[in-house]
Amino acid sequence: MEEKKTSIIPRAALIKAWLIWETFPQTCYNYERMMGQVVAHMFSAIINFLYKDNPEKRKEVMRREIEFFNVHIEFGACILGMAIALEEKKSMGEDIPAEFITNLKTSLMGPLAGMGDTIWQGVVIPILLAVCIDLTRSGSGNVWGAVIYAVVIVAAAYALSYWNFMFGYKAGSEAIMDFLEKGILNKLIKGASIMGCMVMGGLVVNYVKAVCGIQIVSSTTTYNVQESFLDAVCPNILPLGMTMLVYYLMSKKRWSAIKIIGLIVVIGIVGGLTGILAY
Amino acid sequence: MDKITIVQAILCGIVYWLAVGNLPFVGLWSLQRPLVCGMITGLILGDPIQGAVIGGTINLVYLGFMSAGGSMPADMGLAGVLGTAYAIVGGLDAETALALAVPIGILGTIVWAGRMTLDSFFVHIADNYIEKGEYNKIWRANVLFPQIMCFCMTAIPCALAAYFGSAYIQGILDMLSGKVLTIFQIIGGLMPALGIAITLQYIFKGESKVFLFAGFLLAVYSGLPLLTLGIIALLVAVVYVQMTSNMEAKAVTANGAAYDDEDDEEDD
Repeated sequence: MEEKKTSIIPRAALIKAWLIWETFPQTCYNYERMMGQVVAHMFSAIINFLYKDNPEKRKEVMRREIEFFNVHIEFGACILGMAIALEEKKSMGEDIPAEFITNLKTSLMGPLAGMGDTIWQGVVIPILLAVCIDLTRSGSGNVWGAVIYAVVIVAAAYALSYWNFMFGYKAGSEAIMDFLEKGILNKLIKGASIMGCMVMGGLVVNYVKAVCGIQIVSSTTTYNVQESFLDAVCPNILPLGMTMLVYYLMSKKRWSAIKIIGLIVVIGIVGGLTGILAY
Repeated sequence: MDKITIVQAILCGIVYWLAVGNLPFVGLWSLQRPLVCGMITGLILGDPIQGAVIGGTINLVYLGFMSAGGSMPADMGLAGVLGTAYAIVGGLDAETALALAVPIGILGTIVWAGRMTLDSFFVHIADNYIEKGEYNKIWRANVLFPQIMCFCMTAIPCALAAYFGSAYIQGILDMLSGKVLTIFQIIGGLMPALGIAITLQYIFKGESKVFLFAGFLLAVYSGLPLLTLGIIALLVAVVYVQMTSNMEAKAVTANGAAYDDEDDEEDD
């Protein structure tokens, strides 16, 4: 068998494809195909290097790549790299069934979206935001927290998705499966959760405000419940209780965010009118 | 400041469009967050610092808000832009601005659901391009057309709301006095519990639970700023993961021989 070229897509086209994916993933987000169209947009950057003399085959690739697709943008970038690598190999004559590519994409979509949303939107963004909001509100206020947040998150998103995209392209599907099964990721999630929980504990103290306004007036003294009782037990115990109540209602009773907002409004109105809560 | 000019209102509308249109470098992870779009709104209205502080406070509610699987629990971009604009024009404090911004954010989800539905139309344009083999035109269906539609759906209503809303802010402020203002401030003070609770749903699990209370007590009694607390939290997490994985490794070597046979069978 003659020596085959390992790659027919130039690096510049590959980088262009990645840039399209990272830059326009949700410009046309829709209920019907979710991100499917972005994948087709991305493939339009490299399609002309595949099946040079067979337009029908090219069309087949595009048809199957515009199908339903939805994943976390940065964590799922490896799937796109992998899909490009598979389509490239298929066009070079390797026997890869078209269904295999589609099935692999859809089966990797779920785990990577779940993990990506948890780590990215559940840990990285909240911690970075918490620290940057605190920075912005320190002293008499400044813009640095907002600037630092924006720069860091955009840089992190582009770096992570580039690395991940190229990893998927070079290493292929087995490597992605392998990575998903290894313990590294669980350790990462465990560590991130611990850090996140500690920062959230600090956030409760700094930013959730709940003050009891009840004053018991006797003939000689005024007994302030907040100062004389609650603060003596533990300062900020009401904010912690409130946070845990909301957490309990959302995770155990499956309350939606809108319902919680309604509850907070009711608590605020009742507490404010009766004087149980003060500001 | 008592009035927004037409130019400022239009700029506010454009910021909201950029924030939710998910365009390059802005949007999704950055400008959509009230901390960032609040600062830009403040810049437009001549007070970026106040904008960042108010936007940051509004952002506390949306810390861990997730847009997963195409759902959007609240439109934090609209809450950030309009909440900050009204607060600066009306001279509101951050907590009152927050209480005002949250219902605006709920209104914004209508825009999101409308876009997600109407965007499906453009996918069929892209299907058409593919059938004709005009792959270099797909970008129009993916970026150009939906963004023109998105601009009409977001920038125009937001600019109108900023312009006319701020004209009435004085009237709203007159209502916001005494008891009503106190109630707004109480609600604004409680609201961040929601943002924290949503974040906790993803990370308050198993072994990490106890660290919430550790962080709480550390913050109560030390008064450290969050940046320092974050660094301590990072170190604690690293140490904990290292120690537990060392223990796991030891447990595996101790039981290694017993498990070997089973592993071989699985491989077959």
